[in-house]
Amino acid sequence: MIPVRSFWTGVVATLAAVFACALPAAAQDIAIRNATVLTVANGTIENGTVLVRGGRITAVGRDVAIPAGVQVIDGTGMYVMPGIIDAHSHMAIEGGINEGSESVTPEVIIPVRDDDQTIYRALAGGVTSALLLHGSANTIGGQGAVIKMRWGLPADSLHFDGAHRIVKFALGENVTRASSSAPDSLRRFPKSRMGVEQTLRWWFSQAREYDTEWQAYRQRGDRNAVPPRRDLRLEALADIMRGDIKVHAHSYRGDEILMLMRVAEDFGFRINTFQHVLEGYKVADEMAEHGAMASTFAESWGYKIEAQDAIPHNMAIMTDRGVVVSVNSDSGERVRRMYQEAAIGMKYGGMSETEALKMITLNPAMQLGVDNLVGTIEVGKQADLAIFSAHPFAPEAHVEMTLVDGKVYFDRDQAMTLRKLIDSQRNITTTTEDDR
Amino acid sequence: MKLARVILAALAALGTLPADSAAQASPGQEGTFVIRGATVWTGTGQTLENVDVVIRDGRIEAVGPNAAATGATEIDGRGRFVYPGMIDAYTPLGLSEIGGISTMNLRSEMGEFNPHMRAVVAINVDSDMMAITRANGVTTAITAPSGGLISGQAALVNMAGWTWEDMAVEQSAAFVLNYPREPSFGFRGGPPNPAQERAARERIDEQIRDLETVLATARAYDGQRAAGSQQTDLMYEALRPLVRGEVPALISADTEEQIRAAVELGREYGMKVIINGGREAWKVRELLATNDVPVVLGSLQSNPAADAPYDAIFAQPGVLHEAGVRFAFSTGGAANARHVPYHAALAVGFGLPKDVAMQALTIWPAQMFGAADQIGSIEAGKVATLFVTSGDPLDIRSQVSDVFIKGRRVPLDDRHTRLYEKYNARPGGS
Repeated sequence: MIPVRSFWTGVVATLAAVFACALPAAAQDIAIRNATVLTVANGTIENGTVLVRGGRITAVGRDVAIPAGVQVIDGTGMYVMPGIIDAHSHMAIEGGINEGSESVTPEVIIPVRDDDQTIYRALAGGVTSALLLHGSANTIGGQGAVIKMRWGLPADSLHFDGAHRIVKFALGENVTRASSSAPDSLRRFPKSRMGVEQTLRWWFSQAREYDTEWQAYRQRGDRNAVPPRRDLRLEALADIMRGDIKVHAHSYRGDEILMLMRVAEDFGFRINTFQHVLEGYKVADEMAEHGAMASTFAESWGYKIEAQDAIPHNMAIMTDRGVVVSVNSDSGERVRRMYQEAAIGMKYGGMSETEALKMITLNPAMQLGVDNLVGTIEVGKQADLAIFSAHPFAPEAHVEMTLVDGKVYFDRDQAMTLRKLIDSQRNITTTTEDDR
Repeated sequence: MKLARVILAALAALGTLPADSAAQASPGQEGTFVIRGATVWTGTGQTLENVDVVIRDGRIEAVGPNAAATGATEIDGRGRFVYPGMIDAYTPLGLSEIGGISTMNLRSEMGEFNPHMRAVVAINVDSDMMAITRANGVTTAITAPSGGLISGQAALVNMAGWTWEDMAVEQSAAFVLNYPREPSFGFRGGPPNPAQERAARERIDEQIRDLETVLATARAYDGQRAAGSQQTDLMYEALRPLVRGEVPALISADTEEQIRAAVELGREYGMKVIINGGREAWKVRELLATNDVPVVLGSLQSNPAADAPYDAIFAQPGVLHEAGVRFAFSTGGAANARHVPYHAALAVGFGLPKDVAMQALTIWPAQMFGAADQIGSIEAGKVATLFVTSGDPLDIRSQVSDVFIKGRRVPLDDRHTRLYEKYNARPGGS
């Protein structure tokens, strides 16, 4: 008996492991029928159909003919929304990358890992893309990565083609190591917000000179001339000034947000997105004028002194004043329920449902430079979709299915089936061991 | 609402504020009130439509249709819903303000055994976090000391009041115990080596022995005192209601092993046990149901263990309910205790019936902490701690319009709304 049972145990275990862990989704043509479609771009469609072919959305509406051979998902009672995009995540990178010694490191590019189960749990919360960033210990940090949640594929395949190159800046308590009790002799410059401004100005001055030198060299076109010494750090800073690399700046207080915009303006570039930006509401007009976007927390406040004036109405005020606002997770926990975070925008300051939905779809897509590809349910866009059991802001909501590039990467029914399979297998193992 | 505040501010600026305006500031306006024509979720298994709730002398005087309420301030409840105040069953509210500043977090004492420490005496009445909490209908919370094996006594307190005595529903609502557990070794160090594991295990065994010694001594002490001994000791005197089963033991325990041991500890030393945290409570649900041991669930905003199902934490309340285990929700924090109903909503998304979720936010924690005779439901004679909302309290989109604590109409402005009003009124913009 035991050998036979063990054989099947092994088969089941292998199958379960394969399915649960690392089976890349298969390409398919799919139609989600009879669902409530939250397009974000063009309102809500009751009893709507979303047709997906070749990884793209090919039709959206009430009367969409479903061609033969297309897999049909019955969306009765369900809600379909664009896949959720998280504009600030630390998943899928080596645990806790941070740079606490060098203040300026824009030439560094963080590596992506494919084995972090946060990717799967994010999918289970309807998330399809994220901006991966390192920590906030230095003023000008390294370059992040924009990924799609293609769980099961190798790291190289997770990168989101077409996304911005993004560098992380940081301001305030973290870069000044404000909570450090080390003596000055063991600390680095800057240790105040004033020092942060001058760090920025000094390095961008250097980079401007460097760039001028190179431009002059190139203009001369003299093959025999000795080229200037190449410096990858200054080169990256020059790319930032040219707008080839977009700045996402960790920030809290209104003063530092305003300061960074003025420094950037002096050097001829723009801050693409302020991250956290908890006091963005105090300088929202200035942000709108500068053209900066904002990616914030929904409810976090009071955990340190620079978060003392954080208010949940931040999202609403900034939106009112013309700033493109997203709400992010910054957490392997919150990423699983970003739909709740977005709903908080409706509670405080009275955002509309569409504005709130945009904060986890179209707006972060704009911030990552992929709004032409994802972020709404529109014909031609990549089919990154989340299917909910109820309205995503309703208490009874959970995610039934998540699609990336038109492929099902999360399916709750399948997850539950596999769980039963694994549980039964575990029970068999236990019994077998007890028998011995 | 907004207009009323603007007018009030304008009157204040002119120095023509009505005489009773001081009474409208925290902790609220005293008086007689009637909420007319609302849908009332009583917490006793009923939802009453189109009824009035009369509040007088701090209590609920009547709940029913066309209630008489002479001299009462009328509140239009049509299209609105009345619920008992919600309870966050584990927080540091009032003891802890800004997390990152050590001087604002005086929550733990020296040493392992501090049963005589009383959280209630150290509550900052003017905590910004309490004001923000009550504005969303979370009227009451367990505020608990931390650290050591017996941290001290947690209090059940309202989020408004003139003094901590005024705020307290139960000054000593539970003793906070922490069942010994493995220290975290930190992700940078990798898994512990065998020597570290052995040392940790030995330390846990030693702590368990210490805890049992203290509890056994407390029983003996209680026996001697009951027999007339006049020799007293502050610590053991404090422990008497615990080992007599008069005040519950809120024992933090997450793993199956810890929970079983905590239940056993209660049985052995005559303690009424409430499990605190209970991440694996579903694994011992039959034990908990059989022994009528309730659970204060740790924050649902937390990740399951690496080898647990993705929805283990969200789905657990539904599983416990089906097994007949009572529980309460908690945030474990102060800043967002206001959003404890959305922790419950996560459970609703994964199978917990809405009515049960509301019970676990109101009457169940009131029962667990011995306050069900005062709060947790809307019934004539009970203390008027309740709120009025535009919809389902579990739905983030619902808006709370009125909050009553001990019959006082609590102002709903707080640090957040004041900053919002200021910057929302900034001229300019697009």
